[in-house]
Amino acid sequence: MKYPVFLQALALTIVVLIIGLYLGILLEQSRSVEINEYSIQSEISLLDIVALNDLIGEANISCAVLEKSNFDLVDKVYQEAKLLDEYEDSGRLTQNLKDLHRRYDVLRAYLWVNIIQTKKLCDSNYSTIVYLYNYDQKDLSKKAEQNVWSKVLYDVKEPRENLLLLPIAVDTDLISLNSLISGYEIESFPAVIINEKHVLTELVTVEEVEAFFN
Amino acid sequence: MDFLTNIFLVYSFIAFYFMFLFILIYIQNRKKINWTPKAKKKYGVGVVIPCYKEGKTIGKVIDSFLNNGYDKIEKIVVVDDCSPDNSFEIAKKYEKKYPGLVFAYQTPKNTGCAAGSKNYGAQFIDSEIIVYGDADSFPEKGAIEKALGFFDEKNVAAVTSNVLVKNRTNVLLMLQAVEYIIIKFTRKLLEFVGSIYVTPGPLAMYRKSIFDKIGGFDDKNITEDIEITWRILSHGYDVKMSVPSKVYAESPETFRAWFQQRIRWNLGGIQCIFKYAKSFGRKGMLGAFVLPFFVFSWLLGVFGLFILLYRAIRTIIVRFLLTSYSVEAHTAILRLNDINFNPSILAYIGIVLLTLSVTYSLIALFTVKERKEYKRPTVFTFIIYEFFYLLMYPIVLVTSGYKYLRGDIRWFK
Repeated sequence: MKYPVFLQALALTIVVLIIGLYLGILLEQSRSVEINEYSIQSEISLLDIVALNDLIGEANISCAVLEKSNFDLVDKVYQEAKLLDEYEDSGRLTQNLKDLHRRYDVLRAYLWVNIIQTKKLCDSNYSTIVYLYNYDQKDLSKKAEQNVWSKVLYDVKEPRENLLLLPIAVDTDLISLNSLISGYEIESFPAVIINEKHVLTELVTVEEVEAFFN
Repeated sequence: MDFLTNIFLVYSFIAFYFMFLFILIYIQNRKKINWTPKAKKKYGVGVVIPCYKEGKTIGKVIDSFLNNGYDKIEKIVVVDDCSPDNSFEIAKKYEKKYPGLVFAYQTPKNTGCAAGSKNYGAQFIDSEIIVYGDADSFPEKGAIEKALGFFDEKNVAAVTSNVLVKNRTNVLLMLQAVEYIIIKFTRKLLEFVGSIYVTPGPLAMYRKSIFDKIGGFDDKNITEDIEITWRILSHGYDVKMSVPSKVYAESPETFRAWFQQRIRWNLGGIQCIFKYAKSFGRKGMLGAFVLPFFVFSWLLGVFGLFILLYRAIRTIIVRFLLTSYSVEAHTAILRLNDINFNPSILAYIGIVLLTLSVTYSLIALFTVKERKEYKRPTVFTFIIYEFFYLLMYPIVLVTSGYKYLRGDIRWFK
């Protein structure tokens, strides 16, 4: 070849991009490993709480301990899921986080079931908000609406210590979740279920949601 | 990976390739960039200055050729293309003042393009080398002599010069000053791979025998300086660039004039692409690099602009919806919580590319020296150039493509 620099540049480009992509995959995998570790810890905590649920009424186990465990776990899962969302937004090369997202949805669905049971068992007076949304939302208007719903619910949750917030994606084919929400006859998402009684499917103001807890 | 990620990676690959290509060419040839060979003989030179409505500058341009320091300029031919101003009268005065050296001619009727008056002037030149200047561009003293040594190589048909911006009175002109330096630096690098694709009008030199053999300028092309260079390459001849041969050109002062000039350059480029389409992959570096480079630059620029527009429109719609829903719901429009502090790998690739691009531009600015009396670009100008000015290119490309399809191919002046 008359000008070998063309091939040299090609070789350099291929090497640099392969290294770049490899580092990118490593970065995304390390994020996936981090979330996976959190997820395992949360699953252990959930199993622990479920076991605790079964022990209520026996061996001097108080509802206060169970309720506190529920609160702590919901908050922990909320923070982890937030981090997972950030990593998912930044993920470009691998799909590992998508599966982890489903795992968190199962976890939160299970947690919701457990909270309902705890409320019955202990006659608890704390409140819950379950926020149901579409994970793979293509409609820009719905996407923006979901985004604003999360902010509204965050604003409502932030000053209230006795409020549990559980965001769960509904388009992840989870049988347990589908069965759980079928009773609410929700026709469109996003939807918000407050204290397992009230269902909101239209975007409302922060004050209107707060009115349910005042 | 989604569609946009794939597109981004393809663009990154191309961008990295060209960055590395130019950086490698620079590293391998950095000592030769400002070098010119000393001519083994005294070449006879004939100068042609095409002129249209340049009464304000034509006299000074003739002076700059007369005082260029080369003693074998045999003829300076000024060709007035039937200007409505006093250009021809001024040229005639010089003809009287320098009998036998300066000649003033007028085309029988306005040719409507630079190629017309350039070809008209060529018939009066019988020197070994024909030099073309512009009636608003001023070659630095010694610019001609410094370039002539390249003609010692028999296969060299043309030598181009280092065109820089003369007027630097506003931000647009300063941006063009940066752009010209980077373009000239890149053009010199292209010389090392036999791929100079233009010999710009402000100061270009051709071996007259080859110039005549290939038939002079194509008056159907509105960028005759690009076309003739491609024709030279297609005949297997070489084109060189003399970086120390500087010529300072008056550049467009208003955005409108700038935009029209760029449209003309691009329209001429598109004309060349179609004229030489059959040379794709053939005819030496013309088909192997220059032509594919032009075609892909155009396609990638246009496609990239549409992707950018798609992203921008989508973001605007989402932002608008978010804002209106947030207001409706009495919640904050933007919070610190909403900012993602975990950048994607694509962001890192973008940062590396930007760093390479800025480094390349800085190397160009520090390699191509200008006369001290000209204002050097400031950091502010450089930032505007890197982050905003370059974004205008795809818009020019799309507009040129649209005009070409409509058949609106005119010489703007």
